[in-house]
Amino acid sequence: MRVVHYVNQFFAGLGSEEAAETPPTRIEGAVGPGRGLESAFADGDIVATLSCGDDYFGEHEQEALARLVELLEPEGADVLVCGPAFGSGRYGYACAQFSRIASERLGIPTLAAMHDENPGVAAAEGRVLIVPTAVNVAGMRDALPGMARLAEALVSGRELGPPAEEGYLPRGFRRNAFAEKPGAERAIDLLLGKLAGETSSEVASGFDRVQPPAPVEDLGDALVALVTEAGCVPQGNPDRLPSIRAQGWLRYPLLDEQRLAPERYESVHGGFDVSLANEDPNRLVPLDTVRELERAGRIGRVHDAFYTTTGNGTPVAAATRFGREIAGELRDAGVQAVLLSGT
Amino acid sequence: MRRRGRLGFRAAGSSEGGLTAWELASFPPELLGELPAREGVDVEIVRPGEPVRITHVLDAVEPRVRPDGRAAFPTEGRAGEGRTNRLEGVTVLSCLDFPAEERPLHEQEALVDIAGPGAALTPFSETTNVVLTFRARDGLGNEELEDWARRETLAVAEELARPTLAAEPVDVERFELEPADEGLPAVVALVQLSDLGPLYYQYVYGVPAGRAGLPRPIDPAELLDGAVTCGEYHWAALRNPTVFFQRNRLVRALYREHDRRLRFVGVVLMRGYEQSAEDKQRAADRAAEAVVGLGAAGAVITTDAGGNSHTDVMLTCRACERAGVSTTVIVAEMADPGSATPGLTDWVPEADSIVSAGNAEELVDAWMPERVLGGDTLLDGAPARDSGRIPVRNYLGATNQMGQLSLVGTAW
Repeated sequence: MRVVHYVNQFFAGLGSEEAAETPPTRIEGAVGPGRGLESAFADGDIVATLSCGDDYFGEHEQEALARLVELLEPEGADVLVCGPAFGSGRYGYACAQFSRIASERLGIPTLAAMHDENPGVAAAEGRVLIVPTAVNVAGMRDALPGMARLAEALVSGRELGPPAEEGYLPRGFRRNAFAEKPGAERAIDLLLGKLAGETSSEVASGFDRVQPPAPVEDLGDALVALVTEAGCVPQGNPDRLPSIRAQGWLRYPLLDEQRLAPERYESVHGGFDVSLANEDPNRLVPLDTVRELERAGRIGRVHDAFYTTTGNGTPVAAATRFGREIAGELRDAGVQAVLLSGT
Repeated sequence: MRRRGRLGFRAAGSSEGGLTAWELASFPPELLGELPAREGVDVEIVRPGEPVRITHVLDAVEPRVRPDGRAAFPTEGRAGEGRTNRLEGVTVLSCLDFPAEERPLHEQEALVDIAGPGAALTPFSETTNVVLTFRARDGLGNEELEDWARRETLAVAEELARPTLAAEPVDVERFELEPADEGLPAVVALVQLSDLGPLYYQYVYGVPAGRAGLPRPIDPAELLDGAVTCGEYHWAALRNPTVFFQRNRLVRALYREHDRRLRFVGVVLMRGYEQSAEDKQRAADRAAEAVVGLGAAGAVITTDAGGNSHTDVMLTCRACERAGVSTTVIVAEMADPGSATPGLTDWVPEADSIVSAGNAEELVDAWMPERVLGGDTLLDGAPARDSGRIPVRNYLGATNQMGQLSLVGTAW
């Protein structure tokens, strides 16, 4: 098994803060913690150690990554192991990003190791296998065998088991398993635990909290767009917007329409009773009201198209993509404010 | 063999201290009688292990009949009193492919696999299933078809249990009201029932949840005894079919734990899919009031269907916590299996104790059944015999949010 190991300037023996500006460099064989790592492999050699100064990486991330990938590629590595970075934020960040980019660009398995609160964990966005370690270097002896085991598992090509079993941090994926007890009995156990002062949860993290943006300073000059996830479409749904699990979004011109007439628009949303919405589509997309505000000079102008999709059974990843795409178009069109109606 | 279960319980809201008792008598599946001939309905029996896929499933019902002649699924009077007979190990599964162009809210595919990888997701792969396939009839709209299928299914379930009237039970469980140790924490089951319009109703004594005066406390035995029936055909995996009320594991476990680890003080039914923000908040507050009114220190809050109803549950959780009642919430996750994005439709910080009913978005390996009942083409146009991988969300009750099954979402 050919292993390439990544460490920062300090663990490569290049120096501490004074060497933090060191650009990417290659060292033959194992150095520093790499020696312990190598001895933890059943059958593996560290063929090269790559290193980069923490500050250099932070200040020249793209160049550093490009150069590191360039150095890695000719090694013919079976696996790239980065760290352990423990609690060091800059080092952990570099480990996470290099792991991620190397596996994306070269298609080789990679892993990193760091403390679970290292900012590198969040930076990895669930795309990197990270072995949890102690917060400081005192945890080196405990960290290396786990890293070696996971590296060997990756090289073997077998499907990885659950995080706790294989020794990596959950990446945020949710996989089904069969519990020993039905959910009802687990709920009673959790509730009685909570009543006794021990609160726990089977879904403990990963909630999406969106911060509202700052208010628009002067709406009197603003170009305002209407966007909705309420499934509002022209009558007959000519573009076949699905009522559920939409795969994209649609844009319809508003030109000189003063309101959305019920004979011209309808909602195809499958997640609520649409009868009131279809009686008056302005209840979903309030064109009538924003036109009044436009006439009164309270807003600058209404954008000449509205954007629509069905927000129903849509995975967050897909909804995020819709949002990015729509926001991109609106930005290009010079829109300053969006009235987003949800259901 | 004749066994008498001893399950103690004090009646919900029985201020007079009046005691009611309900007995559930179990009879063996061999008593399953003649299959009923019904016009417009194909009837077949499917047994465990058979390589069969059942499609377009509406509901699942355990055959029940009352020796005293009252209805097994009453629309008048009161359930949860006297005795009810059940045919153990038998399920009536109803199937109906609604005329496509009339679908009001676009019901989703609902499958039961008796073998293959999907069989682990359903309890019905282990029961003898009487499969009723209702054929769409000219001149009948979706709502009329649904009404017909739902009533016929309950009637067939009652008819199939009739042979138990002349037989000896193998087991009798007694659900009785008994005072419990006042030092134990008082716990309520707060059960959400959908009402999102036609084809998306759960029924309380035959009345859609939204018109049943919810939220309100009921005697837990009522829930187990046919007071609540299913007419909600949205996401299959998140559905609570009738049998999940009849065999409700949450209520049964609370009975079992009564006077042991807790005091079971009642079931509160509440509606899911209130349609305005104000109504959602009002309903949440009133549900919390009902829970407080029962003197509960804690509530297990269950969920029906998905999306919009998850907001009702989260608001209810918050309202209960603010009223001083600790909560545990049961919800299914809908997390894209290919990305590390969150899987809860809604969430409040007060929901710090959540039971996951599984990730409905996960894909189940492809399987080719030898036989398909209910309809050969899935709603998305794929052939039911060779459909490739199917998401968990299409399997009836697989991630139901009353905690009936053992599926759980875990962090990877």
